[in-house]
Amino acid sequence: MIETLLSDLAAATQARIAAVTTADELETIRVEVLGRKGKLAEVSKDMGKLSPEQRGVVGKLLNAAKQSLEETLSTRQNAFAAAALAARLECEWLDLTVPAPGPGLGSLHPLTQIQAEIEDLFVSLGFTVLDGPEVETEFNNFDALNIPPDHPARDMQDTFWLSNGHLLRTHTSPVQVRGMKKLGPPLRMIAPGRVFRNEEVDASHEHTFYQLEGMMVDKDVSVAHLIYFMKTLLSAIFKRDVTVRLRPGYFPFVEPGFELDIQCLICNGTGCPVCKHSGWVELLPCGLVHPNVLRLGGIDPEEYSGFAFGLGLTRLVMMRYAIDDIRQLQGGDLRFLTQF
Amino acid sequence: MKFSSSWLAEHIDGLTLAPAELGSLITIKTAECEGVEAHGAHFDHVVVARVLTSEPIPGTHLAVTSVDTGRYGIKQVVCGAPNCRANLLTAYVPPGQLGVTNAKLRGVDSAGMLASAKELGISSEDEGIIEFVTGNPGDAIPGCSSDTIIEIDNKSLTHRPDLWGHHGMAREVSAITGRALRPLSADLPSGPAPIAVSIVDPKLCPRFSALRFENVTVQPSPLWLQQRLESVGLNPINNIVDVTNFVMADLAQPMHAYDAAKLNGGITVRTAADGEPCPALNGTTYFLDPSVLVIADESGPVGIAGIIGGGPSAISASTTTILLEAANFHAASIRKTSTKLKLRTDASMRFEKSQDPANTVRALARAIALLEQVSPGIRVVGGVADVYYPAAPPAPIEFSLAWMRRKLGKADLTAAEVTAILTSLAFGVTETDGEFTVTVPSWRATKDVSIKDDLVEEVGRMIGYGNLTPLPPLVPNTVPPLPPERAYLRGLRQLLTAQGYTEVYNYSFVNEAQALELGLPIADHVRVVNPIAQGQELLRTSLLPHIKRNINDNAREFESFRLFEIGKEIHDRGRDLPEEIPHLAAVSFTKHGDGTASLFELKRLAGTIAVGCTLEPATAHSYEHPFRSAVVILRNEPIGRLFEFHPSAVETGRAAVLYLDLVKLQALRPETGKYRPLRRFPTSAFDLTVVADPRELAGRVLGLIEPLAGPQALKVQYLYDYTSERGRSMTYRITVGAADRTLTSDEVTATRAAIIKGLEASGLTVQS
Repeated sequence: MIETLLSDLAAATQARIAAVTTADELETIRVEVLGRKGKLAEVSKDMGKLSPEQRGVVGKLLNAAKQSLEETLSTRQNAFAAAALAARLECEWLDLTVPAPGPGLGSLHPLTQIQAEIEDLFVSLGFTVLDGPEVETEFNNFDALNIPPDHPARDMQDTFWLSNGHLLRTHTSPVQVRGMKKLGPPLRMIAPGRVFRNEEVDASHEHTFYQLEGMMVDKDVSVAHLIYFMKTLLSAIFKRDVTVRLRPGYFPFVEPGFELDIQCLICNGTGCPVCKHSGWVELLPCGLVHPNVLRLGGIDPEEYSGFAFGLGLTRLVMMRYAIDDIRQLQGGDLRFLTQF
Repeated sequence: MKFSSSWLAEHIDGLTLAPAELGSLITIKTAECEGVEAHGAHFDHVVVARVLTSEPIPGTHLAVTSVDTGRYGIKQVVCGAPNCRANLLTAYVPPGQLGVTNAKLRGVDSAGMLASAKELGISSEDEGIIEFVTGNPGDAIPGCSSDTIIEIDNKSLTHRPDLWGHHGMAREVSAITGRALRPLSADLPSGPAPIAVSIVDPKLCPRFSALRFENVTVQPSPLWLQQRLESVGLNPINNIVDVTNFVMADLAQPMHAYDAAKLNGGITVRTAADGEPCPALNGTTYFLDPSVLVIADESGPVGIAGIIGGGPSAISASTTTILLEAANFHAASIRKTSTKLKLRTDASMRFEKSQDPANTVRALARAIALLEQVSPGIRVVGGVADVYYPAAPPAPIEFSLAWMRRKLGKADLTAAEVTAILTSLAFGVTETDGEFTVTVPSWRATKDVSIKDDLVEEVGRMIGYGNLTPLPPLVPNTVPPLPPERAYLRGLRQLLTAQGYTEVYNYSFVNEAQALELGLPIADHVRVVNPIAQGQELLRTSLLPHIKRNINDNAREFESFRLFEIGKEIHDRGRDLPEEIPHLAAVSFTKHGDGTASLFELKRLAGTIAVGCTLEPATAHSYEHPFRSAVVILRNEPIGRLFEFHPSAVETGRAAVLYLDLVKLQALRPETGKYRPLRRFPTSAFDLTVVADPRELAGRVLGLIEPLAGPQALKVQYLYDYTSERGRSMTYRITVGAADRTLTSDEVTATRAAIIKGLEASGLTVQS
């Protein structure tokens, strides 16, 4: 009797489980059949009325039915959970091609970038980096650099004169004077910064631009050392082997003074419009530090000698990015600045 | 400065170098050659021609001519010159030269052109076609030939007074090529001085030399002289003036010719009286002052020394006697006067380079021979008037071969090489066992060469710097002492760009209007004395004027943007150099929303740059939103401001600005101290809600709670607020704990009670 009852219940329940459509229905069946007060529990209550032999047989049947139902139930439960998860994930569909909210990456001014790059190169060769003021004394800007009053070289640099009797530095060279006094010999220094010339502004002329001054003072520093450093550094800056040449150039704070040309990087010296068909591009003035300048910097020219050079950072930036209007560098136009 | 290669070649024996090659060599060894250009190439093709017939074309000013051109045969040419007539010897330009083509004029064929001196590029004479007295059809134009002009950058000649003339450049070419320089005649007449000369201040005028000539004929110069001057950019005027200009362009010695009949008495070289007038030959009368040196006769100035001659005594067609001046003047004085009068002349340009006083008589000697050529029958009267105050000869320069080798970095340099180079440049050299004693030629001694380092350049450039082997220096390898500011500023820039800000660079100048807009007192600014453009009057005492401009400019292109600048404020300190203080200005601009997000974004930025900073409401500046302005405080020090621009300053949107003093900020940055051990006992936290006035500040209440919470308070946090009719409710979370134990609930309750009591004592209500 009880066996029939059990097998009917098992079969009916299996059929019900197979027919459910929600996890809740499944749970209802589980409580109804397998719960503590469920139908299987009721069946087992009647077990006490059976003989021990029968009890053994029915017990086994009962367990088998329970195990089988639990398995089926669990399979369906898992299926519902998996479907529910899949449904939730599907709802979480996201379009990742939408632009991210919040600010994007800003950009550094191209002059900042090139300056940092060149500073790093010089630091790696043992040069320190110094800063100097934009407003300088006439003495530091001219006299201490062997440009006395009424020297025609003062005409070469149109100067902004100020109400306080000082001037806006026309070059970064005054930092040579500051550097010698601050560091003493031997020394290796560079000084990048903003300089000023009183000029009309157009696409290729600015009254405000950037230079990088360099100086090395030690025992027996020679022209051959200068050429070595310039070649090494310029090759690093341009990321290729560059050919340099020195030719005479006149700058009162160096003796001898040079214009350093590099072989044109566009045509490799065969001649093109960029180098005006000369094969060479004028890049930077340099020279051995004039003994008067060393002396005014508190260094004995009989004991020490040195070289100095001035690199035009603005010019370098314009060369690197092929910028054809110098005014853009200080125009504050984000359409331009965000390109770097 | 233009150099004629034919002119240079006349000074040098057997110079055959092509001009382009010469230009490159001069660039490498002497001074920068800016270009090499053909000049007068048409003179290889233009010929003397005879007009055989000339018939007017009716109804026009033109004539149809038949011309015997010799080389090109008989040609029919249409000519409009008034002086065109039969039998005239003139110049014929064949088609293909000077832009001339076979043409048809008024229906008449014209094969070529008859040309004026101007059209030939000889002078500015264009009254009619050129006329020759002698010659045969087919001859080349007498005295004119094709030439090549080598243009040298004036800046690279600043220190070389001797290179402002062809002879000086020829000396360089001679040293470069090893070809001999031809000597110049130095013959001068002897006899009594033809005029009394006195120099008041020998420092301003070390030498004044002059010759007097009579039986002078003033007329156009021969064509060769006109063409030569024209080729180097000087205008032919008349034979006398042309000779002075020719000598200047050859020897770099400026000269001046006076009509001697117009001079009254002797010459005095003196400074001008205040307001003294000097009528100059350019038609302007200059009113001078005592800083200006003049050449004066007994009636007054007859010229501004070294710059320009006087008008009344200038050479004219009626001149028959002349006084020819070759003098030397103090470079700085000439330069000052030339700048003051805004008058730069070929003479002043040369004198301001420190010319050689020994050169005056060389120039006179050269002029005599030329004047005899161009003014037949001219005679010198007497000898040279020459007042000369020679400077002490410069001391010889001494150096050793070893020193020269070390300076150049060339160990195999020989004494013979050094001697040969210096000798070729006219230095006097004696050398014993590698010890040199060198005397400097007078034309290099005025300024250019005075110390041994100057000779390094002479030897180096002539050897060729390309012949030096690059050499790594033998120096100790040291870690450079880097200033911490640079690393700080670099890190700051990286942080800002990572947060989305783009860097701008602005000028150090502002104009008055910009300063006034931001209420910056004009008188506080360092002023530019000589601005050449508007907008450069003042040095900025704030980055904000340009930042405001950046915002408004970019607002035309973008809905929203972020930018920053790191630049210096420049503050006047009277005679001392101004204080230059680096500042950061960061901007977040948007055309949408109420501006709150931008301000809090910048507050967050302030917190990442100045860790631990707080904001205190500030009295707003005129350009700030009156209710959105705060001072940024770090360790009790104000370091800057956070504000929104006033809508009158930025009209198109909302611009939040963070403006920080980077010097103060760096000084106040916390140093990394010792590690603090991690807490071993649990903490407790409780929330309190304070009800206050609707505009009570969250920060002020926080500031009240912190001291009330006592030493066990680990953290006081603002959570949120809610504003209703009752006022502003602000909720704070207070976390307490002890280092050595767990606090009991009584202790926590006691702390809570103490805070509530304190807040109530301050007039605040605490919600229970």
